[in-house]
Amino acid sequence: MALWPKKKNRKPERVCDPDADTFAVFDGVGVTLGQRTVLEDLTLSLKEARIGVIGLNGSGKSTFVRLLNGLRTPDKGNLTLFGAPAADAEPELPRHVGFVFQNPDHQAIFPTVEEEIAFGLTQLGAGKEESRKEARAFLELHGCLELAESPIAELSEGQKQLVCILSVLVMEPELLILDEPMTSLDALAVRRIYGKLMSLPQKIVMISHDLTHFENFDRVIWLEGGRVRLDGPPQQVLAAYRNDIEEKSGTKMELAAL
Amino acid sequence: MISIYLDKESWLHRLPAGVKLLVVAVVSIVLFQLDSVWVFLGGLAGVFALYASLGKDGLARLSVIRGLLMFFGIVLVLHWLSGTFFEGIVVVMRLTILFLAANLISITTRMDDMMEALMPLFKPLQWFGVQPRRFALGVTLVLRFAPHLMQIFAILREAYQARTGSRNSWRLLAPFAIHALRMSDNVAEALKARGGSAGLSR
Amino acid sequence: MADRSLVHIAFYAALIAALGLVPPVAIPWVAGVPITAQSLGVMLAGVMLGPVRGALAVLLFLFLVGIGAPYIVLAGGRSGMGVFASPSVGFLIGFPVGAFVAGWVMQSTKDMNVLVSSAIAAAIGGILVVYALGIPGVAMMTDLSLAAAAVGSAVYIPGDLIKVAITAIIAQTVARGLPSAILSRS
Repeated sequence: MALWPKKKNRKPERVCDPDADTFAVFDGVGVTLGQRTVLEDLTLSLKEARIGVIGLNGSGKSTFVRLLNGLRTPDKGNLTLFGAPAADAEPELPRHVGFVFQNPDHQAIFPTVEEEIAFGLTQLGAGKEESRKEARAFLELHGCLELAESPIAELSEGQKQLVCILSVLVMEPELLILDEPMTSLDALAVRRIYGKLMSLPQKIVMISHDLTHFENFDRVIWLEGGRVRLDGPPQQVLAAYRNDIEEKSGTKMELAAL
Repeated sequence: MISIYLDKESWLHRLPAGVKLLVVAVVSIVLFQLDSVWVFLGGLAGVFALYASLGKDGLARLSVIRGLLMFFGIVLVLHWLSGTFFEGIVVVMRLTILFLAANLISITTRMDDMMEALMPLFKPLQWFGVQPRRFALGVTLVLRFAPHLMQIFAILREAYQARTGSRNSWRLLAPFAIHALRMSDNVAEALKARGGSAGLSR
Repeated sequence: MADRSLVHIAFYAALIAALGLVPPVAIPWVAGVPITAQSLGVMLAGVMLGPVRGALAVLLFLFLVGIGAPYIVLAGGRSGMGVFASPSVGFLIGFPVGAFVAGWVMQSTKDMNVLVSSAIAAAIGGILVVYALGIPGVAMMTDLSLAAAAVGSAVYIPGDLIKVAITAIIAQTVARGLPSAILSRS
């Protein structure tokens, strides 16, 4: 084996600028899934610290936020993330963009809390022992060291989601994306998780069906049929969205339209 | 938790996993060269003694042999039909020793140690592009999701029973498979969002 | 796509384990031989994942059975190294090979209807190949003639034929409900 030249351990060049003020620029972006157009002609740029995304089921919200961390790639138009074209930025995105999914059962990979948190650190190149130690320190910092050895399967829904959020935060991303993170939680857990999220220094892009969450946000984007219907400060967008829902539900109830 | 490992301290527990595996491998090769009832009787006594050395719960583990009893019955009948009944008895004795000895390794070895001892056997998988890190992650994923899938199946069964009153769960297998596959897509997505199976340290 | 493959392999391994817990059904016309859903998982792994991933899923499952992992057991609750020292070891070796062949057949009959092609794949991989390795295994472990070992193993064949039918039905249901999940064909 010694005959083979060793692969040079050259560090690949980083293309992302994590400190970029405007973290995403969409220019005519479209996404199609098979025959269906999911997103169409999106042109906007994102830089606010707290951005909410609203819209009915199937409006393209999930696909929209998945563009931000490379889980989906645009089929049309140009997308720039952290100052680099999306295709080039993709391998680096998990460093800069944390993603919290709706169902914690699909996100938590490891049997215990400590391992789940440590995974993010080993992903960044830390050794096994080192990452375990750091994971415990991180849990202590967030006041949940007592959960360290608990099996994730035995936690409450709120605790599970908290673990998922922490397991992403431990990688110290600049941006946190949350896809309906509070849908399966009870009222108390929602309050706690929400409070935790709002206290974070990270920029946040969040999808939620509970409009009250967005009242103190900087910006709300309302998607409809894969396009931006309205985009602006929460007071204006939320009011218009509420009116629209009133109007739609006031007409006759059709199951097929749900 | 269903587990074969017997959590206690004993000299067998302290023996390295690799040594135990090697001993059982050698013993099984030797067993196949022999066919003396007296030697096998001695072997059986030896294995029983090893189980007994683990104490009461050790002896209780001898009951695993029950799973093979029906099979032994069939083997004896087939040997009897072929006119080699005595050989049948020898075979059953040999298999009993073999099975109990191998089972003893699992009773006295932690899963992690076993994994480490067996890992070298799986090196050839690298030729198929399965790196050790991937393999370990795969193991973790199975450990995490097997109980979860069992839970999902139980939930589906309840829902099915509530609507049909039938307990025949075989009809649930297709929806169950679809459910599991959807979930695996979600898990794959979540894994990718955190940098994928290869990590970010490249 | 490597991540997705890894997760799929792990899920099928978990699925094979979960199927081992589905209550066995006794087939009345063969003296109540219990049929379990587990080898169904082996057929499914090959048919749905294709040869390499299917075989890897089965290997991963067997590895975890061997190291005595919690919850991961053969039908009937057996696990640990003992299963590889039992007379059915030939069948266990046959499982990954069978999954490989089933996946290969599935892949090379891409133009056929899913129901037909998966039934052929499951029958060849899940029965023919598995028994081709299983029966000599039994003969070797028990000093019986191949013929006697075959007679002893034959009681399970009716159950396996039922599983072939179920595999085909599942494959077709999935092909309709979630076509992207038939990885052996994509």
